[in-house]
Amino acid sequence: MSGISKSGEKSLWLKGHLKDFAAYGGLILCIIIFSVVPPFFGQNIWSAAKLSTLMSDVIVTALMSVGAVFVYALGNMDISIGGQVGVYATLMVLLGNNTGSLAAGIVLSLVITVMIGIINGVAGEKLNIHPIVPSLVFMMILNGIRSIVYNKMGTRNMSLVSVDYSLFKQSWFMLLVLVLEVLVVGFLFNFTRFGKNAKAIGANKTVAEQCGINVVKYKVICYVITGICVVLAALFQMGYTGSASDSTGTGFEMNVMVALILGGMRLSGGMGAKVSCAVVGAFTYSLLDVGLPLIGVPNNMTFLIKAIIFIAVVLITCRQKKAVLPR
Amino acid sequence: MKKNVVKKLLAGALASAMILGSLAGCGGGTGDNAGGQQTQEEGNAPSEENGGAAGDEQQAPEEGNTDAQAPAGEGGTIMWLSNLQSGPQYEDYVALGNMACEKLGYKFEVVYGDMMNDPAGNLSAVKNAMTDDVKALIVSQDGGIADIMAEYPELYVCGFATDLGSVYSPNPYADNSAVLESDKFLGCICDGFVHGEDTGKAYFDIVVEKGYKKVAQITFPDYAYPQLKVACDTFVSLVEEYNQTAADADKIEIVGETKVLEFAPLDASWFMEEGNSDLDCIVGVCAGQMFIYPAMKQAMGDGTCRQDTKLITSGFEKDDAMIADFGNDGTIQSLTFSPCENMIFPLVLIDNALTGNQYADLDTAIIDSAKYVIDSAEDMNNVLTKSFNGTADTSLMQISWEEVEQLLTRNNPDATYADLVAKLHSEQILVDALAE
Repeated sequence: MSGISKSGEKSLWLKGHLKDFAAYGGLILCIIIFSVVPPFFGQNIWSAAKLSTLMSDVIVTALMSVGAVFVYALGNMDISIGGQVGVYATLMVLLGNNTGSLAAGIVLSLVITVMIGIINGVAGEKLNIHPIVPSLVFMMILNGIRSIVYNKMGTRNMSLVSVDYSLFKQSWFMLLVLVLEVLVVGFLFNFTRFGKNAKAIGANKTVAEQCGINVVKYKVICYVITGICVVLAALFQMGYTGSASDSTGTGFEMNVMVALILGGMRLSGGMGAKVSCAVVGAFTYSLLDVGLPLIGVPNNMTFLIKAIIFIAVVLITCRQKKAVLPR
Repeated sequence: MKKNVVKKLLAGALASAMILGSLAGCGGGTGDNAGGQQTQEEGNAPSEENGGAAGDEQQAPEEGNTDAQAPAGEGGTIMWLSNLQSGPQYEDYVALGNMACEKLGYKFEVVYGDMMNDPAGNLSAVKNAMTDDVKALIVSQDGGIADIMAEYPELYVCGFATDLGSVYSPNPYADNSAVLESDKFLGCICDGFVHGEDTGKAYFDIVVEKGYKKVAQITFPDYAYPQLKVACDTFVSLVEEYNQTAADADKIEIVGETKVLEFAPLDASWFMEEGNSDLDCIVGVCAGQMFIYPAMKQAMGDGTCRQDTKLITSGFEKDDAMIADFGNDGTIQSLTFSPCENMIFPLVLIDNALTGNQYADLDTAIIDSAKYVIDSAEDMNNVLTKSFNGTADTSLMQISWEEVEQLLTRNNPDATYADLVAKLHSEQILVDALAE
């Protein structure tokens, strides 16, 4: 250590935390811009209505992304997330209307997600195929099931009429659940073997195996934890309008990926994975959704602006070779 | 090492500059419209550049009341929850919305509804785009409409270019009929006919008129568009009825079952199914220019579809190749769509509501659109050169702005809802009127 000067230490520290600055800086920049500029347009992002909009916009993506940190830490990705949300939301509405309670839908969704998690976790390892393949298969199966259900029922969407879902529209409840999820997942990820082993597998699977880590077991656990968070997200997605449709969940897996990248997560997984990436990324993404219209940006321009910001963050955070794509 | 850090910082600085530049560029406008600069220019151009009607438009505020001279946006924002994001009809709607709102002192904003009409997606789109000055919402999607109205109970809401199925004909799974109880709900003008029977009859009349004998039907799924199935069933019934009295040589044969497209274009392999390669006509009870025509041309090229098979369908795309292949010996023989002047309906009702002078005879029941049928090359030429629907030139609207002003109660207290409906259903808004 004595060989490294103070300025050298600072440089190393700066280099090590550059991604954090970029990700947090993106969020902070958004907060500053959307705090300062909207008043010139007669708008205010800190109004109760806009904060409520922000919360309802961010909640589903944040809940999914926080859970997905486990899978992304492995260097894998689960692209069946969107299909899962769609099917779980549909089950909750259907069973909710039939039983007068959401319990049956939630329990059945949890059972399904555990099964999917087990298969996703095991298949990649045992069949020696890329881990994305099983989730791709599930994506197609779930979308197919959803399509058949709505086709048979002769409708594109269905509403929950027998259960009061107003709680899921309350901002304070969304925030409470998100905080609890972050605390629980953060604890599991940072202070238990589940998270540490997930990061170790993501950093170097061969070394992890040689250190005695049961890769299949921990992969399954990671997928199951992610799945449970997806069920929670589906509950809020359904509760937003008390409905589900044949397109519910479409593209959500991409939202998760975008949120994680905006949050500074390295998609190749490993020791750099953090739960905070999911939260920061999800809020940054939603702030853009809610904030851009307030500063006079036409709605058809928001996609372009978000794309530019996305590129900027990728430029800053993911420039290391072999660090961009999941393994 | 240091070089890399500097590179990254430079990349960050460059990206930040790009972001700030984009934000400044997009946000720096006056915010007069949500359709982007191009559409704003299009909306303004007619009144500034054209004589005739455009000149009259400029004089109108002086002749009318002072409200019409109010700066754009002073009266608040009218937001359109659009089911389109591009295309000639989208451009027409934006041009008309911008022009009308500018003249009436409002700002016109477009927000894109969920592509699949998902209730949560539509609610999110509206909530994200909502600003304090939004006073009314024009909806072209029904998913989540009850939730939107519950979230923003002060907003006036009017349907346009949609059948608002879950409002006017709800099913046990999707029921938004509660919005009909709200005094903020102003009604709806349909995209086409409200009842599928009328649509089916219209297609049947064209087939008989053109003398097609072997036809096939293609449509969208009934779970998404129940009235399209009614239209197809009606078409079949009418053909069966017709065949009972027709001579053998005049009988119409419907080949195979109705093909249902799951929101994906027809695959050219469909023409290899029995009977489909030898059709006189395909009745596309859907947006056939986009969903059927490309496969037809491919099949014709492959030799699996007769070269003289024709297409009659709905929708309007201004693709040069398709226009060149229209009428006479062309593949497309008839295009039916709703005139873009229909947007006058929600704009007038919303203005009446916001000025506190709503029609005494307002009826919130859904109404038919006038049918804009292009069925000859001459019609197509007229539409492309003389109509608002083909040019996005508001000075060519078949209902002039002066006539619109007379439908507004702020200018004409004696105006009635019946007058508005009659104007939108009048012969002056048909394609044939362009020939005069």
